[in-house]
Amino acid sequence: MKLHQKGFLLVHLNLSESLWDHEIIAATLNEYELQGAYWENHIRVSLDELAAGGLITRLEEKLVKQHGQAILQFRYQVSPFGKTRIVDAGLED
Amino acid sequence: MVTPTSSPSAPKELTTALAQHFARNQRWGFVWALWTAILWGAWYVPGTALWFEHPFADIPADAQALRLAATAVMTWVHAIAVFVFLMLWNGVLGKVKDYGRTIVRFKKISKWYALASLCGGPMAIFGSYMAMGFVGPVFAAVTSLFYPVIGAMVARLWYHEKISGRAAIGMAVIIFGGIVIYGPGLFGEVGKEANPMAWLGYLGGAMSAIGWGTEGAVAARAMDVSDPDVGIQCRFTFEIFFWGLIILPILALFTDLPILTLIKDTILEPQAMIWIFLAASCHAYCYTSWYKSFSLIGVARGEAIGNLYAIFALIFIAAFTLQFPQWYFIVGLILTVSGSFIMFSEPAASIEHLRDHSSSEKRA
Repeated sequence: MKLHQKGFLLVHLNLSESLWDHEIIAATLNEYELQGAYWENHIRVSLDELAAGGLITRLEEKLVKQHGQAILQFRYQVSPFGKTRIVDAGLED
Repeated sequence: MVTPTSSPSAPKELTTALAQHFARNQRWGFVWALWTAILWGAWYVPGTALWFEHPFADIPADAQALRLAATAVMTWVHAIAVFVFLMLWNGVLGKVKDYGRTIVRFKKISKWYALASLCGGPMAIFGSYMAMGFVGPVFAAVTSLFYPVIGAMVARLWYHEKISGRAAIGMAVIIFGGIVIYGPGLFGEVGKEANPMAWLGYLGGAMSAIGWGTEGAVAARAMDVSDPDVGIQCRFTFEIFFWGLIILPILALFTDLPILTLIKDTILEPQAMIWIFLAASCHAYCYTSWYKSFSLIGVARGEAIGNLYAIFALIFIAAFTLQFPQWYFIVGLILTVSGSFIMFSEPAASIEHLRDHSSSEKRA
């Protein structure tokens, strides 16, 4: 069985030194065969929750234009606490 | 999929966008917490009306054991109805598969939702009914108001949730406002007569504050690695299990209480079921909002704003029964709303990191 989505976000991010949110979103949509703005926003909210909980940290941010709109993007990294929680929660078992 | 299509913008625009981003998260966190309070307050109307329907209306006020058994039956049927509404919610949001993926990870994740359901279900609800039955309903309401203090303490000590001075002051003002609303009624209840069983009521009051306070902190422990919408459905799955497969069968097998008759009479009574479904619709989305607020603004703030239910309960009861609250309700209203604004006036950046993990490697 696949990991639940928030678990996947953590594990996938932990495979790299750091990732931009649009890279994480692309990997997640691909993993769960999803598409559309609803799921993109849903994943962004999940990343915000993970950052608020201290499991991931924001290393960098930038504004990009998409469809005439300014979009804020973040580069994330799993924090030491996040790595502990990945082990605690058995996400890599 | 989002892909960058232009070069990064100027630093000033970036700073503004960041401030807006955190302000939006803070606003959504408080909006969810406010919905918790509104729906919790609304729940009191069908939740109270249910006691006036068969089979619950037929139970004498002094038949404490039977009333507690009826509460257990009512809570179980109510939890099943809540589960139905949550399934509908997650079905619409496309999260049912994620619910399955989360609940099967019992040993490491969903066990925390099971523990949260024990704290918020049997412990808090039973405690609240004990407080109502052995001391009085006002005492039960006042003790419940202290649950954010317990939640904040547990969250602070267990996983180092950050609670700013302003958040703590706001929380204290909200709780004081709640005491002003219900407190004067306490003089008519506490110590009014020498009730040898009153200690059970005081114990129940403590159980309700500790149960609900701890529930938020325990659930937030699992929610840092799982989705709040899914988490609340896991929590109610376990509550159905605890009441339906452990507590009610034990009561049916080892006591003379008419558990099966109560279940049958409840399910076959259309009026009772209408109230249960109305109460469950409020409760399902009240709890969903509560859990969602924890992820965005933390357990302490989410529970404190949720405490505004004290205001909304009286407003809804006045709207449906035309029983208007006492004058001091206005004082309590001013205090609780002021406390909410004190909390909301925190800088939005303060909710960017809800926990202090400066030495996180040492903690589990």
